[in-house]
Amino acid sequence: MSSKYLEDQEEKTVVIVMTSGPSTPHRCATPFYLGALLSSMDAEVKIFCTMEAVKLMEQGTPENLSAMAGGKRIIDFIRDAKNAGVELHVCRPALPGYELVPQQLIPEVDSVASAGDLADLILSADRLLFF
Amino acid sequence: MEFHGCEFRAELYYDRECQIWVRKEDDGTLTVGMTDISQSIAGKILHVRVRRPGTRRPKGKPVATIESGKWAGPVPNIFDCVIVHANEDVLEDPNLLNIEPYEAWIARVQPVAPVDVALQEMVTGDAAFALYGERCVRDDIHCERGMR
Repeated sequence: MSSKYLEDQEEKTVVIVMTSGPSTPHRCATPFYLGALLSSMDAEVKIFCTMEAVKLMEQGTPENLSAMAGGKRIIDFIRDAKNAGVELHVCRPALPGYELVPQQLIPEVDSVASAGDLADLILSADRLLFF
Repeated sequence: MEFHGCEFRAELYYDRECQIWVRKEDDGTLTVGMTDISQSIAGKILHVRVRRPGTRRPKGKPVATIESGKWAGPVPNIFDCVIVHANEDVLEDPNLLNIEPYEAWIARVQPVAPVDVALQEMVTGDAAFALYGERCVRDDIHCERGMR
């Protein structure tokens, strides 16, 4: 389906809103994989974790979670995305519902942001994806 | 030469994370490929897409993207360059990168600056081997060559 060559496109901003968390591990790798790929194609990619995805950002959770039995850990998908240039943001209003404070989040998180920040991202992004 | 089973070729140039190798060509172009370390981390490579020939790629903008079953990401770019052409054999059969990472090059590029200036941030020889070993130890990397 895809061409062997990457076209030189105008840079685009992509926001991935991540709502899946540890209760559905099979949904937790693809957003980071896709984010890494999009970033490698010159897109400016921001992943915003809200709802149960904030639980995925808790230290000790992605280090011990895989999308499939015996598979690559979610933390390694997250690190691949970060290495490719993806920014990672966590929804502050969602933290109390999971009894979390910002200090408990993995160091890969770039910022703890407000719902207003997410709203700004949604309104300004060229592409918006929900997982 | 090897470290943790990862092949290393002293005559090539490497980025400081030893993700890619670069070879000088007689015509002033540079050939870019991925190291044994990188192909081992990626696992079986399923897709390779290279920027269209003629495209300028500033430093930091990837030359190509790689997809395997468990890894997706860039082929990093260390210097400002223009894509001359891609290795059609690798585009058709990306698994070649797992089987012969130092023969199966990805792209040939023309650096915008003179070759020696373009390669200033890369390392070669013993200094590169030291970095290569450090990376293997730091990330506990042990290489395996791909099979058909």
